[in-house]
Amino acid sequence: MDTFGYLGQGFGVALSPYNLLTALCGTFIGTIVGLLPGLGPINGVALLIPIAFALGLPPETALILLAAVYLGCEYGGRISSILLNIPGEASAVVTAFDGYPLAQQGKAGVALSISAWSSFVGGLMATTGVVLFAPLLAKWAVAFGPAEYFVLMIFAIVCLAGMAGDKPVKTAIAACIGLFLSCIGIDANSGVYRFTFGSLGLADGIQFVVLVLGLFSVSEILVLLERTHHGEQAVKASGRMLFNVKEMMFVLATNIRSGIAGFVIGVLPGAGATLASAVTYMSEKRLASKDNKFGNGDLRGLAAPETANSASACGSMVPMLTLGIPGSGTTAVMIGALTLYNITPGPLLFQNQPEIVWGLIASLFVANTMLIVMNIPLIKFFTKILAVPYWALVPAIAIITSIGVYAVHATTFDLFLMTGIGVAGYILRKMDFPLSAILLGFILGGLMEQNLRRALSISNGDLGILFSSPITWVVWAMVVGMIALPIWRTYRRRAERRAEDAAA
Amino acid sequence: MKLTLQTLFFSATCALFAGQALADEPRRPECIAPAAPGGGFDLTCKLAQSALVQEKLLSSPMRVTYMPGGIGAVAYNAVVAQRPADEGTITAFSSGSLLNLAQGKFGRFDESAVKWLAAVGTSYGAIAVRADSPYKTLDDLLAAIKKNPGSVVIGAGGTVGSQDWMQTAMVAKAGGIDPKQMRYVAMEGGGELATALLGGHIQVASTDIADSVPHVEAGDMRILAVLADKRLPGETVSEIPTAKEQGYDVEWPVIRGFYVGPKVTDEAYAWWKDAFDKLLASDDFKKLREDRELYPFAMTGDELDAYVKERVAHYRGMAKEFGLTQ
Amino acid sequence: MSQRIFGVVLLVASIGLALSAWGYQAPFSYEPVGPRAYPLLLLSLLALGGIYLLVKPASAHAVSNEPPLDRHVVRKVTTCVVLLVIYAAVFELLGFIPASTVFAIGMARLYGGSWRASVIAGLLLGVGMYLLFDKLLDVPLPLGILSSLEI
Repeated sequence: MDTFGYLGQGFGVALSPYNLLTALCGTFIGTIVGLLPGLGPINGVALLIPIAFALGLPPETALILLAAVYLGCEYGGRISSILLNIPGEASAVVTAFDGYPLAQQGKAGVALSISAWSSFVGGLMATTGVVLFAPLLAKWAVAFGPAEYFVLMIFAIVCLAGMAGDKPVKTAIAACIGLFLSCIGIDANSGVYRFTFGSLGLADGIQFVVLVLGLFSVSEILVLLERTHHGEQAVKASGRMLFNVKEMMFVLATNIRSGIAGFVIGVLPGAGATLASAVTYMSEKRLASKDNKFGNGDLRGLAAPETANSASACGSMVPMLTLGIPGSGTTAVMIGALTLYNITPGPLLFQNQPEIVWGLIASLFVANTMLIVMNIPLIKFFTKILAVPYWALVPAIAIITSIGVYAVHATTFDLFLMTGIGVAGYILRKMDFPLSAILLGFILGGLMEQNLRRALSISNGDLGILFSSPITWVVWAMVVGMIALPIWRTYRRRAERRAEDAAA
Repeated sequence: MKLTLQTLFFSATCALFAGQALADEPRRPECIAPAAPGGGFDLTCKLAQSALVQEKLLSSPMRVTYMPGGIGAVAYNAVVAQRPADEGTITAFSSGSLLNLAQGKFGRFDESAVKWLAAVGTSYGAIAVRADSPYKTLDDLLAAIKKNPGSVVIGAGGTVGSQDWMQTAMVAKAGGIDPKQMRYVAMEGGGELATALLGGHIQVASTDIADSVPHVEAGDMRILAVLADKRLPGETVSEIPTAKEQGYDVEWPVIRGFYVGPKVTDEAYAWWKDAFDKLLASDDFKKLREDRELYPFAMTGDELDAYVKERVAHYRGMAKEFGLTQ
Repeated sequence: MSQRIFGVVLLVASIGLALSAWGYQAPFSYEPVGPRAYPLLLLSLLALGGIYLLVKPASAHAVSNEPPLDRHVVRKVTTCVVLLVIYAAVFELLGFIPASTVFAIGMARLYGGSWRASVIAGLLLGVGMYLLFDKLLDVPLPLGILSSLEI
């Protein structure tokens, strides 16, 4: 049977009433879990595995449930990002850059709907990618070794420089702080504990959730306190709840580019949704014309990370299904679930149990469609959050944030750490340092250092390994392109001006 | 509505009676998995969780709490310092935890700080290469390393001093190679390791039998040796030679089990021990264990306590020998 | 001025951390870079940043869109931070429900709720969040002093 025959069979599995109902439950639970700051897809999936098992769901239904929850979480994470400037999970951090300014301008409904639409497009593109290219991409996923990852990180850092804007020094300092924070904890290469000062709470480094919630949630709580003091209610929901055709066309090119990039990055086991959303945001910003509003509510700045992040969530299924290698923390948990059902993901899965693979792929399509159908009417309901007075909203945010942080280690150490990071973040914010640069530095830092050191231990110190494969050449070329593009633009603008001057 | 209330009342009464029948059953049973969801510790907890309910030893399923950090260091300290008398809490451990304990990476507490409860299964270390690798046996591999230590890059899922490193170092030593001469790359976890091996970025992976068997079945990998005392049961697995039969006397079992806090009462400890004794003897448990790709290793109570202490002392000696600790 | 102070703090912190990083060496390692090169590189960059802020603070002065601080705001912010710290300290000790209730009442008062509204919000949040997370979402939360209530 050919691919489409299998896919049709898969839809047969996914569209059975029972499985449809399961997918609906999954998307709903996922949206809620994703919405709560600190709880992400890993929690959602981990929560449902024992339940699925206890209910005695057949394996394909269980997988559909988990896939629906996974995608639902990626959807839900953006809601608190856009409405409250508090990312529901790591990959939604970038969403807040332009999502929150849009909400502040009273366009919360448009922001939510365009991001839902972007997620849908991203998911659709990536799932199509899985159908068409999964076996091919398996090769691509393993072709990325330490050297390739390191060069990719260089590319990401160059993209990051595009964020600098009018305060290059502060952005650079913030990024270095982030890069530095990533080396706290046990060093994965040598096993040395760095900067833990005897604290076991730091043994595994600062947890991502703790940093995100400290920097964004706690500092936002403190900023809201100022606002209450000055008697402002920051964000009002008003106006349209849905984007119009013009806005949709405006972000279309961004959707397509980010969808492809997000999928390709998602397939790489070492990268993930957060990197995908950051890289696409930054490259879209670079590509945009000089008069863009990135950072102040540009719809493209919202569309790029949202498309990329759901595309990458679908992309991370590729190494899981074809190689049995987890493409993300969430797929690692899903592989654990599969073993409970005595299913071993890997190349043999396509041959031995095609109904499971294609049922899952079909259910990605179904869950994706279900999410957009369910999310658009819910926007009205979500924007109601903005009508809740601060005296009720802020304590709720603070408590949910604390639970999210506590859930990581089940120790109160992280609560203190989060408060400390929050206060530091608040001070830095007051001094006009971009907190997002700290966070992106943190994400990139660990990957960059460890992969460089791994690459050099493979080559025994020979730097040539960084230029040794076609992939590295392509990525290096992209690095050069990213640096050259703005220079070339400035040059051309000057040349034009000179031409105008000469004409006048 | 009435029906629901009745059902509720009925189940509440049942629960009450069940509670009375098993008066000793600990309240709020909880299993601490000292890692993020999805790993081996999670698996260990989930195994006990489903088995204890299935065998009707617990009336309500255990909660699983995740407490990642230092292969169990964070959980160990939390149990000893913050909840030493918590009767309902069992914590998962593995040989990897014992190895770190032996190297003093668990902070101020040593191996006698907790009560070792039960070991429920074991896995074994394995040395794997890609299916198209020129190395067919351990001899081939070790000869190549001996000839040119830089030509073979060995990857593992852990840092220097971790169990993955330790087993490689032991194999190298058994082959007359100084472990410091190997070319070693530390990856983070089994997924990264498999990627690097399949992508040809490393030539050898020092890994775990359960992690690599799926890849062997798929025809992508070959296991040169399993570090068990004799060949393991199972279709694919029984064809894998042990290091011992190839003339290298190295064994590396990775046992998985549980401990409880130091101040847990003897009655509660006896209840848990009894529950695990019943569990380990049952056939259903055997199936659950096999589903999770674990091999038999049943030990509880004092026997386990003695075993753990012997192991830790052994690891301590090894760490010193390899120059990891002073 | 604040820029200068920050510059000094950054510089001192970088030097201090660099001193402690100097000792990071593996018993033996297989890689040419080692565990201390990367942090030392970043710390020296951070120290340079600190010096820059110290020497040329004005240049780093961009237009800030954050409202200025006054004494009342600082006092409120401090109170809020103290509340968060206390909350962290009693989270396991008292247990989630009492700790959250008290914390939420304090926070609600701070954010301009009336006493009545704050107490209601506190009780609802304390119990509601416990039910939502512990019961529904399976995130185990400490019961603390209430642990004798649950069977």
